[in-house]
Amino acid sequence: MIKKILQSSRLIKPGDWFIIFLFCLLIVISAKVLWDLPQGQYLEIHKNNEILATYSLNQKTKKQIHGPKGVTEVIINSGKVRFSSSPCPKKYCIHQGWIQKANQTIVCIPNQISIYIVGGKRAYDTINY
Amino acid sequence: MTLSTISITDRDHQIAKLSAIAVTLSLVEFFFPSPIPGVKPGIANIIILYTIFKFDIRMGIWVSLIRVFVTSIILGSFLSPTFFLSLSGALFSLLSLVIFRNLNSRYFSLISLSLIASLAHIFGQFIIVRLWIIPHNGIFYLLPVFIVSAFIFGVVNALVTNKLLQLNPKK
Repeated sequence: MIKKILQSSRLIKPGDWFIIFLFCLLIVISAKVLWDLPQGQYLEIHKNNEILATYSLNQKTKKQIHGPKGVTEVIINSGKVRFSSSPCPKKYCIHQGWIQKANQTIVCIPNQISIYIVGGKRAYDTINY
Repeated sequence: MTLSTISITDRDHQIAKLSAIAVTLSLVEFFFPSPIPGVKPGIANIIILYTIFKFDIRMGIWVSLIRVFVTSIILGSFLSPTFFLSLSGALFSLLSLVIFRNLNSRYFSLISLSLIASLAHIFGQFIIVRLWIIPHNGIFYLLPVFIVSAFIFGVVNALVTNKLLQLNPKK
């Protein structure tokens, strides 16, 4: 048993530990850089590729949107947003759950409604809620 | 009329045998369901590593490229995006193996080589995906998942190759 462990430790040489360390560092850095999206600030509701409305995410409300198939309801809950009811048959948009980071989107194809979270980079002053 | 004769050497036989094993492993992997879409262990690369260590790098390149072409023809994905993904991954990892194959064997074992090659494979595929298949920066969101899988399978493949080399020592 001890002999086996010694053999396996001889298999991994010092340089390997260095490469493994670099690899772990790469994993941590890539996850940090690529997954750290800024928190969103505004919610854009698109209907049929046109911006229907823009709301601030810092509130707790429900919004009803009329699409070609019926009424879709969207819940804004201080910083995050989700579809809560929709007339579409498969309810994929509802199952997407909450989104909260900038550039996240949920699309409901049957009712032609999509919601986009945008960060604070673009200026919103005229159509802002 | 000239008669051209192709002499088949022992080396060709070795390449054919190893390629056949690599293709088989690729096919087995193709029919095996993966828990995360797109994440595959790449067990055919065990054969490529084995070939490079037991024989030489040129033979490894032959086996790797034959594997890519033959597998795609069998699965019917020849010249499709899947084929180019696999080709680009193979080319990048071969390139990295060519560059790093002379790492000092006192300090580096084939685990390092396997890890470098699997990372190069991921980057080769991501370059094709970003430039051609999904030209959107959103795909980089997936990169950490693939780097973690490259790490795990890079180590596992290296350990299996090591065992194979122990069982069939270099003549």
